[in-house]
Amino acid sequence: MERQEEVRANILNIIRDRSESGRLISAEEILTELKRRGLLTSEEIKPKTHLETALKQALQENRDVKEILAPNGVCYYYSVRRLSETYAGILVLKSENPLWLIAEVVRENSKRYPRPVPVAGFMESPFDLTLEAILECLRVMGEDKEYQDIAQTITSVGKTFLYSSRHLDPDYASMLAEWLDVGQADNP
Amino acid sequence: MTGGLIIAFSASGAKAAKEGPVIIMDQAEGLVIADPTKCVGCRRCELACTEFNDGKASPTIARIKISRNLNFGVNGIPTGQRGGGAWGNGLVIQDICNQCPHPVPCANACPNDAIVVRPPTNARVVDSKRCSGCKMCRRACPWEMMSFDSGTNKATKCFLCDGSPKCVEACPSGALTYAAWRDLTGKIPPRVAPTAIVAPEKAQTCNECHKK
Amino acid sequence: MAKHGGWAGKVLRVDLSTGKISTEDTLEKYRDYLGGTGIGYKVIWDEVQAGVKSFDPANKIVYGVGPLAGTGAPCNGRTAITTLWPTCWPKALVASGHMGGQFAAELKYAGYDAIIIEGRADRPVWLSVWDEKVEIKDARQLWGQGIRRTTIEINQQMGPEASVAAIGQAGENLAPMSVVMNSYSHSAGGVGGVMGSKNLKAIGVRGTGSVRIAGNKEEWEKLIKLHLSLLGANNQHVVPSNPQPWAEHYNAGSRWMASAGRRWGAANPSIDTGACEPHNLNRIAYRTNNAAYFLGDKAWQHTVRGNGCTACPIRCHTMLKVPAVSAKYGIPELGQNTCVGLLFGRAFFKSFPDGPKGQTAIEACMVGMYLADDLGVWDNYGQLQRDFQALYYNGIFKRKVAEKEFNSYSWNKYEQGDPTFLFELLPRIANKEGELATALGLGTGHLLERWGIPEQEWLENHDLLYWKLGHPKHHSNEDAGQCGVIINTQYNRDAQCHSHSNFTRNGLPIEVQKRLAAELWGSPDAVDAVAAFTPMNAHKAKMAKWSLLRKELHDCLSLCNWMGPWVASPLKEREYRGDDSIESLLYSLATGDKKSRQELDTIAERIFLLHRALTIRDMGAKDMRTKHDTIPDWVFTDPKDKAAFSKGTIRMDKEDIKLAMDMFYEEMAWDKETGSPTKATYRRLGLGTVADELAKRGLLP
Ligand code: SF4
Ligand code: SF4
Ligand code: SF4
Repeated sequence: MERQEEVRANILNIIRDRSESGRLISAEEILTELKRRGLLTSEEIKPKTHLETALKQALQENRDVKEILAPNGVCYYYSVRRLSETYAGILVLKSENPLWLIAEVVRENSKRYPRPVPVAGFMESPFDLTLEAILECLRVMGEDKEYQDIAQTITSVGKTFLYSSRHLDPDYASMLAEWLDVGQADNP
Repeated sequence: MTGGLIIAFSASGAKAAKEGPVIIMDQAEGLVIADPTKCVGCRRCELACTEFNDGKASPTIARIKISRNLNFGVNGIPTGQRGGGAWGNGLVIQDICNQCPHPVPCANACPNDAIVVRPPTNARVVDSKRCSGCKMCRRACPWEMMSFDSGTNKATKCFLCDGSPKCVEACPSGALTYAAWRDLTGKIPPRVAPTAIVAPEKAQTCNECHKK
Repeated sequence: MAKHGGWAGKVLRVDLSTGKISTEDTLEKYRDYLGGTGIGYKVIWDEVQAGVKSFDPANKIVYGVGPLAGTGAPCNGRTAITTLWPTCWPKALVASGHMGGQFAAELKYAGYDAIIIEGRADRPVWLSVWDEKVEIKDARQLWGQGIRRTTIEINQQMGPEASVAAIGQAGENLAPMSVVMNSYSHSAGGVGGVMGSKNLKAIGVRGTGSVRIAGNKEEWEKLIKLHLSLLGANNQHVVPSNPQPWAEHYNAGSRWMASAGRRWGAANPSIDTGACEPHNLNRIAYRTNNAAYFLGDKAWQHTVRGNGCTACPIRCHTMLKVPAVSAKYGIPELGQNTCVGLLFGRAFFKSFPDGPKGQTAIEACMVGMYLADDLGVWDNYGQLQRDFQALYYNGIFKRKVAEKEFNSYSWNKYEQGDPTFLFELLPRIANKEGELATALGLGTGHLLERWGIPEQEWLENHDLLYWKLGHPKHHSNEDAGQCGVIINTQYNRDAQCHSHSNFTRNGLPIEVQKRLAAELWGSPDAVDAVAAFTPMNAHKAKMAKWSLLRKELHDCLSLCNWMGPWVASPLKEREYRGDDSIESLLYSLATGDKKSRQELDTIAERIFLLHRALTIRDMGAKDMRTKHDTIPDWVFTDPKDKAAFSKGTIRMDKEDIKLAMDMFYEEMAWDKETGSPTKATYRRLGLGTVADELAKRGLLP
């Protein structure tokens, strides 16, 4: 019993520590870390099931701990005290295909705030894509049915922004891009 | 501690008067250290020091000193780009109290033995009950870290906020750190040449202890 | 020591004509007006007759600060300078300029809440205020010198801690487009020439006293920490500019620029601004980098550190080190300023060889700051540069200026975006050399009049952003639709109000903004998403009133309206709420005079109303709606001719704006038809005698 408590406490630690460093952690990685700490070692009958139960409980009891399912089917864990849901969303998308990442981020921004997103932003942390990779993505998107809503607009100083036509119409998007890129700084 | 005669004293320090002058021997435990490259010259440390400790905003009595170096650096008013501060190379040097090791210049200069050691930090602090406001301590500190509060007519100096420095907590750029004490007195160039004299009674104590 | 905390307790009055120096009891005389612009309007109302012109000896200048100046309340560094505004066209009306820096705090430590300057000295003088020792000193040696030289020489006399507010050649020569400047880069526009007209070169202030906090010091400490926890980056942008682990939201337009990998590159060694998680109060100073925000990513490598006002952790002035400029232009490699100050030099040019955010643009900024902040030239919130571009590219300069003079400028350099052009232009504006430069130094309204250009052309031009009375818009419909429009009708210079724009630009998603708006102004419909405006409603009028009153309150308490109010925060656990009462909490604890949020807003309303009364009196008109609260035509147009209220336009609708003004006047309890406050409203706010005076002149509705 005590051992279970200890395992749960360690799981929480591991998740929160990982979030602190701005990353997600999978069940597999948690297990490895627990083992490194001398927990759930071989004498446990089924460490995996044990871990699953413990994780479930940790999720139930601690509102800051969240689970996120990546498109590849792997579940990742994190603490919203240190890592936001938005960021976690970006991280799982990032682990997948960059097309999907760009499209989803663009759609989310177009819908929620609403605002277009500068292409150059994808070169920065946490996206860290190269310009070539981004341009290649945009080229492929142009040809793929699934991404037909992802559109571009260029500001008066030549910066390209992306938006989703599902949520913004072209004039609105170009106005907002201009506002973000030029308007706000020219009207300080 | 060495020698029976010499007493490192706590703030209450009543018996020192009877047994001879207060000579501080204990090392301080802590020290505020400052990184000028991170200082953004906001003076929040000065204000935290005086508002949260004295209930008034008063850079003049702040026990960390920014204002005097803010514009032109430690050396006053330069012309051109050679100086420090916002008008020079941009660096703001934060002046802090070294919590000097023995012999403690400010304490030794005090004719009233009003600068004493206070646990838990062993900071050198002014016992305001004893301070007569004569300002001898100000003449003694080579780094000009003694302040004088004309409102209370007492000297005041950094007392490390008894271990949780307000200035460190207040700094918006993390330029200040509360660290274990180390001797900075030989490292930080003095701002002035001290002009205080040590009272004969104290001088005698020094001589007695340091007799060959 | 005053009975109350906060205030220093005395107002200093200096008559430069007679040399008489006296003091008044702040609370006895100005208690109902708090400080800052409140004292300013009161003095002008009581003591400066209608019809006085800006540069007349009978005009006065009031340098006012409030009970929070000099304390540890965040963002309290601004001095409000009230006078009859020289660039206000066709007639000077009351307005105020605001400078940050160390002046406000130093004035309080010296023992004063305000300085009133009156009369005119018979020769150049400067004023030395050293605690209770106040002297008028000979400034003949300083006359003709730039602001930097002047400051240094006064500091030599008063010591390095003194704060010096000085004018440059522009002010001396009575160019209306001139500033007073303290602490290297903190200026107040429009005031330089008024000081020059009084032969007042500078005010040096050195204070060794203190500001007492009346309340319990532990409570004060707690309150300060609460306030700090609610701060965002500059302009109260509460989300970072790119995704960060701790942040739920981000916005490419945010001034919260800190991020892992973005470094103060010219610090030695360089410093990573890193994650600035909002709960970490020891990293607030890294959030903002206005050089990087305005000049682009290249500015990071030149950033030495942030700088700014006393007690402000935001540091909106960025210190830049650009070694190349010393060899290239013979100017110091260090420069610093914020927003329009940073952009001063760059904004004259249409383009640069290496693009708008390249190295040349940065160099133009360095040259601009070096010159303008020494000569003391003002740019009227960028109107100077917008006018310049229009006047040049539309061939107006060529038509209005003699050929020889026109050809004496290197226009080829100008067109190529060569920053050395600024060495030709800016000194001439300051020294009023030639027709072109002299006209530019007058400000837009007077320039148009002098050159016989109908103001209408400016009112119609969407790109010039000109509003009225010689001044541009400042956070108008582009930021907050009708609310912004209303705000821009109210002042006699650019509105300088940020209460509304700090909210609409805070970076939070529109549904969060709407949730907060419902709590603050009664309905989510008070705010719209940018460029997706909806028709007017009463809640927008409420927001406009609130915005104006908070601006005025900040200008009186000495809180920075470029940061406040703090009604949104970066804190997720507060659901991004700020605290609408932070001003009254600070005021009550600092002064010991307990006032609720509503009570303080009422005082702010009184002060704002006095500003209105002064405007009415000095215009000699009560029909403010048509004569003063005007709206330029461009507001009702769209470059793509999109209809008002369609998505993607900031175009407003004429009928709707009429309704907006109706609703605003109603909210203020002013007469709807004229836009003039009613007698009952003056009475309710304790301005009965003001109403009587206006009644005598037939200026009540
Ligand atoms: S006040 Fe000066 S002499 Fe005294 S301990 Fe501090 S640094 Fe040393
Ligand atoms: S440690 Fe305390 S007493 Fe010393 S300078 Fe800092 S705030 Fe002031
Ligand atoms: S609080 Fe920090 S940044 Fe501000 S003046 Fe003090 S040391 Fe410098």
